[in-house]
Amino acid sequence: MLTPRIEAIRQNYVNAKPQISTQRAKIWTESHKATEGKPVAIRRAQAFYDCCDRLEVHIFDGELVVGAIGEFRKCGILTPEFSWLWVDREMDSFATRPQDPYLMTDEQRAFVRKEIFPYWKGKSLEEAFLARLPEDTRKIGVDTGILDNDSKWRQAVGEITPDYQDVLFKKGFGGIIREAQDHISKLDPTDPKDLEKKDFYESVLLTSKGIIRYANRYAEAADKMAETEKDPGRAAELRQIAANCRRVPENPPESFYEAIQFLWFVQVGGILSENPLSLNPGRFDQYMDPYYEADLKASAITPDFAQELVDALWLKYSEWVWTISANTADYFAGYNQFQNLTVGGKTREGRDGTNPVTFMALKATEEVKSHQPGLSVRVHADCPKEFLDGVTHLVSKGTGFPAIHSDSVGYQMLLNAGYEPDDARDWNNCGCVVPHYRKTGEWTAAVNMNFGSALEYALNEGRSLMTGEKMGLDEKPAGTFASYEEVEDAFYRQFDNLCRHAIILTVEAQRLHVEMVPRPFLSSCIEHCMESGTDLSRGGAKYNIGPVITGIGLAVVANSLAAVKKLVFEDKVCDMATLAKALQADWVGYEDLREQAKAAPKYGNDDDYVDSIAQKLANHFYHEIHQYKDIFGSPFLTAFMGISNYIPMGRVLGATPDGRKGGEPSSEGVSPFVGTDTSTPLAAMRSTAKLNQEVHSGGTLLNLRLNPELVATKRGQANLGAMVQTLFSLGAFHVQFNCISSETLRDAQAHPENYKDLLVRVAGYSTQFVNLSKSMQDAIIARTEHAC
Amino acid sequence: MGGYLMQTQHFSVNDGEGIRTTLFLAGCPLRCAWCANPEGQTCRNPMTRWAETEEVLRELEGQRIFYRFSGGGVTFSGGEATMQGDFLRELTDALYDDGCSLALETCGVFDFDALAPTLAKMDQIFYDLKHLDPEVHRKYTGMDNKLILENLPRVAALGPDLVVRVPVVKGFNGDDSSLEAIFRWLADRVPGGKIELLPYHRFGEEKYRQLGRPLPPASFTVPSPEELDRWRAGAADHGLTVVSYR
Repeated sequence: MLTPRIEAIRQNYVNAKPQISTQRAKIWTESHKATEGKPVAIRRAQAFYDCCDRLEVHIFDGELVVGAIGEFRKCGILTPEFSWLWVDREMDSFATRPQDPYLMTDEQRAFVRKEIFPYWKGKSLEEAFLARLPEDTRKIGVDTGILDNDSKWRQAVGEITPDYQDVLFKKGFGGIIREAQDHISKLDPTDPKDLEKKDFYESVLLTSKGIIRYANRYAEAADKMAETEKDPGRAAELRQIAANCRRVPENPPESFYEAIQFLWFVQVGGILSENPLSLNPGRFDQYMDPYYEADLKASAITPDFAQELVDALWLKYSEWVWTISANTADYFAGYNQFQNLTVGGKTREGRDGTNPVTFMALKATEEVKSHQPGLSVRVHADCPKEFLDGVTHLVSKGTGFPAIHSDSVGYQMLLNAGYEPDDARDWNNCGCVVPHYRKTGEWTAAVNMNFGSALEYALNEGRSLMTGEKMGLDEKPAGTFASYEEVEDAFYRQFDNLCRHAIILTVEAQRLHVEMVPRPFLSSCIEHCMESGTDLSRGGAKYNIGPVITGIGLAVVANSLAAVKKLVFEDKVCDMATLAKALQADWVGYEDLREQAKAAPKYGNDDDYVDSIAQKLANHFYHEIHQYKDIFGSPFLTAFMGISNYIPMGRVLGATPDGRKGGEPSSEGVSPFVGTDTSTPLAAMRSTAKLNQEVHSGGTLLNLRLNPELVATKRGQANLGAMVQTLFSLGAFHVQFNCISSETLRDAQAHPENYKDLLVRVAGYSTQFVNLSKSMQDAIIARTEHAC
Repeated sequence: MGGYLMQTQHFSVNDGEGIRTTLFLAGCPLRCAWCANPEGQTCRNPMTRWAETEEVLRELEGQRIFYRFSGGGVTFSGGEATMQGDFLRELTDALYDDGCSLALETCGVFDFDALAPTLAKMDQIFYDLKHLDPEVHRKYTGMDNKLILENLPRVAALGPDLVVRVPVVKGFNGDDSSLEAIFRWLADRVPGGKIELLPYHRFGEEKYRQLGRPLPPASFTVPSPEELDRWRAGAADHGLTVVSYR
């Protein structure tokens, strides 16, 4: 049960529309005007300090955890230093755009157009990136849906897990300041390398002092509010808040409450410094439990109040909004900031790490029902029954949380990426489904790559089906392919070309980040940056892991190649020229052929005919990408992630030989194409586990739908736990279950073609929903509503 | 060797422990008027197929790992699986030797002595008991219940995890006196035994249409959850253990 306070905050979170605050952009810009000529790291650090010093202080009703990034409770900020162009272009329709709208007033718009944007003209990361990009890469990689990395030049990188264990909770920012001063005192001002370091340490001094200043201003405000507060209970809370803010983040936390407040201040620092995606809290239960246990022992906290604090933090994570372009919002839909919080799993020493805080996190997600943090769990073969029960119980609630990960495959992915075993064992999740570690600098979502485009260019003489424009390499007419192998070779030629451009997009952006956007605040949260005196953006972390290229459309391409092989070269129901024409016509006039294409083997049914094609494709992707190295000499990595990128990438993709119509969504992660895994979820699991998932160190994602009834009972949940353990023993990394609502079932009734894989339990057995008569479907909908 | 299959249902979670495959073997000695799987009454019809034993075993291979993690296995159902005794024995022997957990759903109509070695390899047996009155039984299933009542204690004596299943059909046995009689008889023969009440449903009607056969009589109706709860409590009052595989 949520407390009334949390429920009230939750209601606001659910009902309020996010608003844009221009405060941060205003201060940031004014600060930069005053620091012309100074080193870029110092300028950015000074701007951060000025924000901490001058942003309005807002303590909202009932808050236990404080710290606002602007004047609104649900708030997004602007970062014109990365890009103002898209904001200028799009902000007039912020409130009306279909995906992730924001509120912004006319006064605000007039203000930023007059006072903010003119200063950044010619100075933003976006402009520099576009100016430097080679024309052929630009043609295929900027707002095309073919290759997409705009989150790396219209936004900051984010994708960081602050090191609470070894840095923040040990030292506090006060300790970081002393460390920086100590380093500075030992530097040689005649050595150019040391001068670089001096800039870095000076920048860290500024950001550390900034975040302490910010906290102290909250302490003052809370004390002042306490003086006039009529409710003595609230007044006491405000005084406690003031005491917390005086202690942290300057000093290491001494209580669970202080640690929670510390976490949020780090988040605020990250947001103000760069408005990041994937600023991950990391292994929350591991670093929070010692504070909880100590407080309990000292009778300094009750379990109920600790839970309320966790609930309050969950809402804080959810109230700030990642301000992004409409294009980015297509790829990261749902106001998702990807603050990934991981619980469960083995400790560095190899013990099971489950503890009371693990369960508090599961409970908070179940009860607060907030979209943040992204709750991930690590499940290992011998994890406690209570934990697996807790996980499957949460799945049964139908929120889609938690993201369930294999402890051992995550470990293996990190080993393959070059981590030492102890560090690999200590992994947490980043963003979506990326196994990550807190001493790491990595672009975990560097480029999204549309696999389907490569097939399109292979079968259409290098041209886009949608626009007719030449986008790929030269290719001969499809009708002249004499064998399946020739088709496959042509596909891989186009595919490798896309890979090459994806690399160019990344290294160009990386080079610019080094020059233009050092990250002193976040660098100070990463241990090795402080030791080496090097910013994260310049490779200061202990591990500089290669950027991750994410493949979109694995299932679509595997299914399509299988259809070509079967229809054209085995069953000979049509020739290549006819198939190519059918695709150009978006299947119009070729309906029979389309039905045959749809009936060809589909990935996700444990059918080696097509699964082997998917396996070869995934392996090829890894080998092709892994041969390239980034600006730090780290080999690039691969991933099959989800997010929502399969939708925009499907939009630019013409008809595909698997029977898919042009413009329809592509496929996500390692998941089957929607509606084509018509066997059982077990078969889908077996198909996806055939891929060598552990080589894709950027993570692999599997989404499966489940009828809520299957997991409505403890027994059903135990079976789900067994399915998960089986999937992981087969070698898969991740699975997430959608328990379908009756709303979905109604949609399935109206559009059965999209829901062919939807399994429902009927009576003692399970079957495909779409295969039931209307009246029986109605019966099941009625029952499901009841079960939910 | 092989036999006639109605269906191989993987990811079956309501007919025994864990995640199972239910093999529906065709053919049945009874003709229950409410039958939910009418295609199982005969071996050969448009909805059944011949399958070699080897082929069936191969199809189960990929499922084994799910059985292991969930404590599941294979459930033989039907139709009436014992009607194809040789097919059932071959499958049972092979799977038993592999250490696979086995369950059988049966209507109780079989030659016990001939089948005993196969029955002895089952970890769990779901045994249907439909009505105690031989005449009512004959009227609605085509056979009286003599053999069924004789076989039940014999099966119990083999020592499997025995669950007596009662399909509760209003208009047939869904009334206090019919069920009370079953509970009393059972409590006497298998004291403390497990019982599962399965409510009648009409989800088989689609199949009647496909087979071009008339639907079950409209006089059969579905018991309400409240009635079922009351009868479950009644079974418990007789010292029976009420179970559910939901």
